[in-house]
Amino acid sequence: MLTDKELDNFIICKKCNTLHKKIPLHQGGKALCSKCNTFIYKRDNNMLEKSLALVVTALISLSVAFTFTIITININGLSKSLSLLSLFDVLLEHHQYIVGIMFLFLTVLFPFMMLSSMFFVLFFIKIEKYGYAIKRLLILLSHIQHWNMLDIFFISLLVAMVKLFDYAKIEFGVSFLALLLTLILELMVTKNINFDTLWQKYNNIYGEDNDR
Amino acid sequence: MIDDSRFIRCHTCEAVNYDNIEEELLCRRCKCQIHQPLYISYHKTWAYLITAIILYIPANLYPILITKKFGIEKASTILGGIIHLWEAGSYPIALIILVASVFVPLLKFIFILYLLISTKYNLHSSKVDKHKLFYITEAIGPWSMIDVFVVIILSVLIHFSGVQIFPGVGATAFALMVFFTMLSALSFDTKLIKKEDI
Ligand SMILES: [Zn+2]
Ligand SMILES: [Zn+2]
Repeated sequence: MLTDKELDNFIICKKCNTLHKKIPLHQGGKALCSKCNTFIYKRDNNMLEKSLALVVTALISLSVAFTFTIITININGLSKSLSLLSLFDVLLEHHQYIVGIMFLFLTVLFPFMMLSSMFFVLFFIKIEKYGYAIKRLLILLSHIQHWNMLDIFFISLLVAMVKLFDYAKIEFGVSFLALLLTLILELMVTKNINFDTLWQKYNNIYGEDNDR
Repeated sequence: MIDDSRFIRCHTCEAVNYDNIEEELLCRRCKCQIHQPLYISYHKTWAYLITAIILYIPANLYPILITKKFGIEKASTILGGIIHLWEAGSYPIALIILVASVFVPLLKFIFILYLLISTKYNLHSSKVDKHKLFYITEAIGPWSMIDVFVVIILSVLIHFSGVQIFPGVGATAFALMVFFTMLSALSFDTKLIKKEDI
């Protein structure tokens, strides 16, 4: 039987389930799966600081995206704006409660929860405190990740715009850019952050006795 | 070389764990459940899948979008909307919606069914392929929400006194269908692929 420390030297590819022994990488190096070429892990000594900066910017950008107008359309002099507030107004008016609640969770709450939990995890690991909170947040993160649909909302926005293109004049609001920026930052964060490393750091801070 | 089949990956924290033949396994690092007793996961996956397939029927039969023009209501279903878009010449959008709302859910149903049946009856196929299939099934799931989101966005923008667009019953059924398909994929245990006898 290998000890936990020794087991930490192994990693299983999330796509094809192949077991690999981790090899030491030079700074910035990447390791790919030997069977399916999927990215598995990389060495980045500044992962924590970089991710923290990206997450903070993404949180600000997301707040902006949900505060102001996303797009405004103009049909024969009549104009209508899309913002988070007008969206829920209209959904409530049409009694679309189930769709409304799903929208609230998938595109508003989960993206927010994801970014803010990432922020606290990174911050707590940085200051090496609150081990228990780190653990709960890391578990929470692994569950919410599947349910964040901000990117799909953005694609839907583009589809809706193409549909309206022929008979409406479309103006972009501040939030449209903020939304795009948030998505780019989110993508960069997911590329940057390494949960396996974060868990190992959590173990180091908390020691072997992490049952408390 | 170490024997691969003795190890299992924790879905929550990615740690490599020793697998056991016992009913339940907790991760050494995050203490989360790596797998429930397998038959529970197997039946859960079936239950969610069947719910999703049942919801797929009203999602397609009932209108997803209703247009109200000067008091006259016109309802359109998913397929109706796609045909309308195609006839109007918006081929790219028609294709996107066709793939996202018709093919993706159907593919997910077929993939999960295949995984459930092939792991139950030990059908001959590579385990690596099954793991990849499962990975793809998880990844494409959320994309079927595009149509529902488009309807929501349109209902906010086209909201004038004369002309209004709003979501129909089909939109609710469709959103719930996506939800249950995702639950089904998430409750499928990849250990079923490995064990191949329950
Ligand atoms: Zn692989
Ligand atoms: Zn774990």
